[in-house]
Amino acid sequence: MRKIVVVLTAAISLLGAAPAWGHHAFAAEFDADKPIKFKGTVTKMEWINPHAWIHIDVTGEDGKVTSWMIEAAAPNALLRRGWTKNSLLKGTEILVEGYQAKDGANRGNGSIITFTDGKKLFVGSSAGDPGAAPGTTIK
Amino acid sequence: MRHVVVICGFLVAGAALGQTAAGQAKASSAAKGWTQPKTPWGDPDLQGTWTSDDCIGTPLNRPANLGDRLYYTEQELAQRQANLERQQQNDLVETVAPDARVSTGPPGHWGERARRPCKQTSLVIDPPNGRTPDLLPEAKLRPVPEGAGNGNPKADSWEDFSYYIRCISRGVPGSIFPVIYGNGQQIVQGKGFVTIMQEMVHEARVIPLDGRPHAGPNIRSYMGDPRGHWEGNTLVVETTNFLGNRTGIVGNGGGTPTSDAMKLTERFTRTGPNEMRYEITIDDPKTYASTFKVGFPLTQEPGYQNFEYACHEGNYAMFDSLSGARAQEKKAAAKAAGTK
Repeated sequence: MRKIVVVLTAAISLLGAAPAWGHHAFAAEFDADKPIKFKGTVTKMEWINPHAWIHIDVTGEDGKVTSWMIEAAAPNALLRRGWTKNSLLKGTEILVEGYQAKDGANRGNGSIITFTDGKKLFVGSSAGDPGAAPGTTIK
Repeated sequence: MRHVVVICGFLVAGAALGQTAAGQAKASSAAKGWTQPKTPWGDPDLQGTWTSDDCIGTPLNRPANLGDRLYYTEQELAQRQANLERQQQNDLVETVAPDARVSTGPPGHWGERARRPCKQTSLVIDPPNGRTPDLLPEAKLRPVPEGAGNGNPKADSWEDFSYYIRCISRGVPGSIFPVIYGNGQQIVQGKGFVTIMQEMVHEARVIPLDGRPHAGPNIRSYMGDPRGHWEGNTLVVETTNFLGNRTGIVGNGGGTPTSDAMKLTERFTRTGPNEMRYEITIDDPKTYASTFKVGFPLTQEPGYQNFEYACHEGNYAMFDSLSGARAQEKKAAAKAAGTK
């Protein structure tokens, strides 16, 4: 699927009440009238606070490549849930589904992100699992 | 902004037991066979990195149908434990659920998780109904910032956003009350001082223990002016000299902003090698009709540590939200003009 697919979902009307949690109010940033769904190739994983961003290149039907930024969780939360800098390498193809920024820029919230085989990008648990992060000694 | 994450089914079936003195004692008594360690200079040693993760999702205000009951029953706790285990299993499922819904909000994987069920039905532990007292009329006039619970995502300026969203501060309560992630509290002690370093927004509270008076009334800050002392093995911290109308007492500093008259009294009591009881009394005569108390456990967890939180570094959301609001205004203006 090498094209941007505009997803017309009947669920849009339900989305206005999406909880605004995390470091900012999502309703202020992403537009429920601008659904996105496409495949892209990772160019960079930006491990930055307060939220990480996945940079991808998306090739349209006309062969034109556009760059997008997809918001991810807080880096610290990703670390605690088992992510490392090697979890999403440059060149990896991913499928992204979500909503575009209200100002029309090529940024999205990435509500659902999977690898091309359908497996979730974010798998892991912080409960009882310190992940790959170096630990401190507990007294 | 009330960052409430529903992590378990909220169970009230069979919830006839009231809050008991035994339950209170259970929450605050020291672990058997454990003795409070001391620093080389003789103070109780609270050092380590603590987290309030286990009460992620516990509401600040108790649902009215639970009345005066602060603690879940053993049966309810067992059910909540089962729910946590189910959530942990779901976190490890490798494929997206067929009924997963796309939304403008953040995905579920963003949140960190409790490791064990919170025993409390609310974070507010006093008054007995577990609810914050009424706001005074003057407090109701204070605007609640964008992103702090005002429900109006259309800011005119960066100054309309909460101090948390602006990466400035979450205030004292908002920096320790459990939220969806980043709940780390690293305590470091030196002779005559305790420092608490908080992961999210990177506050460092330096607390003198030498009995010095508070700063003068003209010296004010987001995190106030703390003074500490020991009552037995409990660290008591009294904080005054706040800037008013900055942050509220909901998680991340959300809700109605508190005033410059606020006085906070916190109590840190280590109850075991990896457990601590935290309680805070909030006295703000310009905001709330009476004082109230919030409390919850802090724990140390294997491998848990504070990470960097250079919040301004990539706070793209600020730009995005403002440019989004302007784009919406243009769209509305064009529609009104009939040009679409």
